Amino acid sequence: MKTGMIKATGPFERVVHWCVALSCLFLCITGMGMMYHSLNFVGTLVGGMENLKNLHNYGGIFFAVSLLFAIIIWWKEAGIFSFPEDLQWILAAGGYLWKVEKVPEVGKYNPGQKMFFWAVSLFGTIMVVSGLIIWFPTGYAMATLRLMYVLHALGFVVIFAFFFVHLYLVTIGAPGSAPAMFTGWVTRGWVKTQHPKWLKEMEKDGTLIVYGQKKSAEKKV
Amino acid sequence: MKQELIKLIDLSRCTACRGCQIACKQWNELPARQTENFGSYQNPPDLQWNTWTMIRFQEREDQNGILQWLFRKDGCMHCSDAACIKVCPTEALYHTEFGSVSMHEHKCIGCKACIPACPFGVPKFNAATNKISKCDLCYTRLQANQLPACVLSCPTGALTIGEKDVMLKKAYKRVKELGGDASVYGDKFLDGTHVVYVLPEKPEVYDNLPTDPKMPLTIIVWKDVLKPAGLLVAGSVVAGAFLHYITHGPKTPEEETTSEGGKLS
Repeated sequence: MKTGMIKATGPFERVVHWCVALSCLFLCITGMGMMYHSLNFVGTLVGGMENLKNLHNYGGIFFAVSLLFAIIIWWKEAGIFSFPEDLQWILAAGGYLWKVEKVPEVGKYNPGQKMFFWAVSLFGTIMVVSGLIIWFPTGYAMATLRLMYVLHALGFVVIFAFFFVHLYLVTIGAPGSAPAMFTGWVTRGWVKTQHPKWLKEMEKDGTLIVYGQKKSAEKKV
Repeated sequence: MKQELIKLIDLSRCTACRGCQIACKQWNELPARQTENFGSYQNPPDLQWNTWTMIRFQEREDQNGILQWLFRKDGCMHCSDAACIKVCPTEALYHTEFGSVSMHEHKCIGCKACIPACPFGVPKFNAATNKISKCDLCYTRLQANQLPACVLSCPTGALTIGEKDVMLKKAYKRVKELGGDASVYGDKFLDGTHVVYVLPEKPEVYDNLPTDPKMPLTIIVWKDVLKPAGLLVAGSVVAGAFLHYITHGPKTPEEETTSEGGKLS
């Protein structure tokens, strides 16, 4: 790790992130294997469509638990919009869509990330609930069951689309972001560009953790 | 391609002998199960995985206060625009060359999607096999130029099967003979069903018979809108991201701090 890197996430956050991410991806792939007949070969890979169904169902339980943790640990930071800066950021589209002289400064999570958090929590919950009802349909009214299939498909459309937005931004769209979810350390330049207000807040509160800072301070002494 | 068939159920000729119900069980090796008397000759109370067809018994008073005892042979309607086929994720349910709806049992994964899809409440789940179970209009018998078991057993001519056009003509002729409230049920919805009734009474009179059965709207939204949208929207996002990258460009951090890890404050 390079000296001067800034700590952005803790290990538990990263584990929860990857539990949600990988199970979500797994559910997308297994679900699509059932939704699109042309992708039925995904079932063949796991020894048949019935196995695929079971993997999808039980994978959903893992996703549900991961999602619960994700909502618990992030809803305060990523679930609550803080005005007016978040609104200003949205009106400027964070400088992502057109040239903006000065992108409004926002905290640890920008409104785009907050929207992503909401999309995942809301539609993720819809997926869990509708999925469980589809899995155990006994006792529900026909109209309810029919609605669950629509909600499950709708949730897929939204989450699958957001997945690609997320993938683009953390790879080539906003370089320097990905290490936050691998090592947990990001460069100061990245924080300055992406979350300047958060940097200021941390500096003010004394919560900023810089890699090697203590050591180098010791060296000076 | 063999011809499209229609099984005609002329309820004006049905005596509720239940020969069809038994013949169906016998030919398809569907076991009988212990049932309870619930105050009707009807037995069992509803279609089951082991009862693909049954006679519904219904007592009602007509507008003149005269008691009627109505019989209706219930079972799969073998729709052309079949909701069960549309929702089946594995193509286990399919249309045969006769237009009937059959099932590749080995392909069924027991997901139960077809159960709420069917407007007639036909597919039933067999927990022992973890598969759906429903009438296939005796597909193997049809292939061998034999009558379906129910048709073969019918002593009154209430059940007949034949070429689509011929059977529809026969149905309309019979309705004309009967007059009154009689009607043909089945040819005007779901692109025409391959089981058609001659109903002596108005359709709304019969228990468990939808007056206007159609493909559920939720299935149209699910399969015709959201299913293609899933790929279209994701594809647009990928294309949009690429366009964003080559036109607007990525949001790159300040140079000074990316190379050496950044200054200490």
